Amino acid sequence: MTARLRETLHAAAADVPAYPVYERALATARRSRRRAVLATVAALVLVALTGAVLPLTRTPAVDPAAGADAALPDRIALPPLGALHATDRPRLGPASVIFSGQAARLQGWDEDGIVGVVSADSDRYRTFSMGYEAPVGEQVILSPDGRYVARPAGLSEDGRVDIIDLVTGRTRQLHSKVADSVGTTPRAWSPDGRQLVVDDTVPTDPMRSSYRRVLSIVTLDGERWTQLADGGQQPIFGAPVAFAPQGARVAYQIGRVVTVADPDGRTVSSFELPAESWLAGKGAWATDGTLTLISRKAGTTDWSLRRVDPGTGRDTAPLPLPGVTGVTTIRLLGWGPDGSALVVAYQPEPLSPDRFDQPLELDQRTAYPNVRSVRVLALTPDATAPRTLMTAPEQILAVDVADSVISAGRTRAANPPGGVGGRFWFWTILITVVTAGIVVYRSRSRLALWLDDRRVRRAR
Amino acid sequence: MTETFHEFVVHRTPALSRTAYLLTGDHQLAEDLLQSALARTYRHWRRIRDGDPEAYVRRAMYHQQVSWWRRRRLTERLEAQPTDRPGDDHSEATALRLSLVHALRGLTPRQRAVIVLRFYEDLTEAQAAAVLGCSVGTVKRHGHDAIRRLRATALDLVDPTVERSQQ
Repeated sequence: MTARLRETLHAAAADVPAYPVYERALATARRSRRRAVLATVAALVLVALTGAVLPLTRTPAVDPAAGADAALPDRIALPPLGALHATDRPRLGPASVIFSGQAARLQGWDEDGIVGVVSADSDRYRTFSMGYEAPVGEQVILSPDGRYVARPAGLSEDGRVDIIDLVTGRTRQLHSKVADSVGTTPRAWSPDGRQLVVDDTVPTDPMRSSYRRVLSIVTLDGERWTQLADGGQQPIFGAPVAFAPQGARVAYQIGRVVTVADPDGRTVSSFELPAESWLAGKGAWATDGTLTLISRKAGTTDWSLRRVDPGTGRDTAPLPLPGVTGVTTIRLLGWGPDGSALVVAYQPEPLSPDRFDQPLELDQRTAYPNVRSVRVLALTPDATAPRTLMTAPEQILAVDVADSVISAGRTRAANPPGGVGGRFWFWTILITVVTAGIVVYRSRSRLALWLDDRRVRRAR
Repeated sequence: MTETFHEFVVHRTPALSRTAYLLTGDHQLAEDLLQSALARTYRHWRRIRDGDPEAYVRRAMYHQQVSWWRRRRLTERLEAQPTDRPGDDHSEATALRLSLVHALRGLTPRQRAVIVLRFYEDLTEAQAAAVLGCSVGTVKRHGHDAIRRLRATALDLVDPTVERSQQ
């Protein structure tokens, strides 16, 4: 029935010469192989760039006043796997708490020293990486309004403090004006958030066999850089630092001596600390102008607060606050509206070789290997025992709380996020879309045939 | 001994060229199609050399010919006149061939592929469906449409009984 068509097809084909396509086919194959390699490389670069840049740019800013309802969560948790970074969009806004430690999720791939950030009024968690262990409250500090985080510049040696703005996502760099500084560590924020006390480490010889430390008070624009102290290396140097509520005085501890200075760097007074006592923390100044110390009862792990005259260091009226027992130390964050002292209590690590009921320097009492977990306690006047305001899982070993949260005296029932975070979903969706695109491209012929097949079936 | 890619091309190019020409109806496009299919074959040569590489090339040609990707490019080039080859004459056979080429150009790429598979390669409908990666029903549909079209454009190519049987 189709003989004529068959004959004609064979007759037409018989005249067709053999096409000389061998060399060109090889060239085409090699060219398309090169293109495939280039396209793969380009796609990978694009994915990497998109992942790195997209979350950091072009999304709306948050209202700086979003932290007006700031409250202390009653518990914090480890940040979700793949949590968004502190500068990712949507912006976090002011924070209530930052924390660090040695939990796996705070270590990253290479002991990155990840710091967790909790939103001021909700259970949104963010992170940022330090590159090494940097305890919050000592080296990484939250501004009084919770909007900024000041931190050392990481592993670089250019003497710099990075100030992360959680509202805009921008990071401002504050370069040290101390000559030859190889590291600058922020120690305290002024109450108005416009000044920082920073601690520079400066090598004293070219071989860097020893260092000296320089404590300075600086404005955030770096224009005013006032030296407070300059001395040799010792375990306690300029930590803790406490600003008076109006910022007119700053107290800092070097060795066993507490110095009170004005913002221009002039020493107002200084006194030697009693045995087993230290400047209490960033909240050491009381509203009545006295200074607060932390003291350990000899031979025990019982800690209490005491008030001293900032001029003489002598005890003033006794504080009717409960003590804290069974901890390596406490650190005073500030004072609540009811007169409660909010302290961070460091629970001892049972496996630590150190004894905490015996003399031990304060920096060793908060060192990660000596701590199992931390809690925020309220020491309320005339109460018989501390009240726990915030708990944290084990291996969260340091916390800092915004002054605005402390002074507001608000707490909230927290429900920390579980599962995985925004960066996990971003990468998962991106990789899925790219993979699907590659699969569709590679099977485009089969897809076209399938669509055609479907169309024909419908037409019938 | 395993055949090299060069030996394969030398031996099979004449037959593959004929199929490519019938699929495209144009020498330039046929060369292009065969070149692309051979390039693709070369990229996968290590995997397919121990099987049936010729079947692979043919499948590649059919698929490329009917894919949307290539079809767009072909549409742009089908406006050109067929290439005259040295030695062309104007005998009755040549007139018939030109008539066939003209008629084939009036078909869609898939219709043309079905015609070549069914009436040049002498494949069954099931075999043609397997090569094209579609259902037997689709092959039947395209075959039916193609014959109807040929009947309209080149009556002398189609046996009248075919017309009736297709109806």
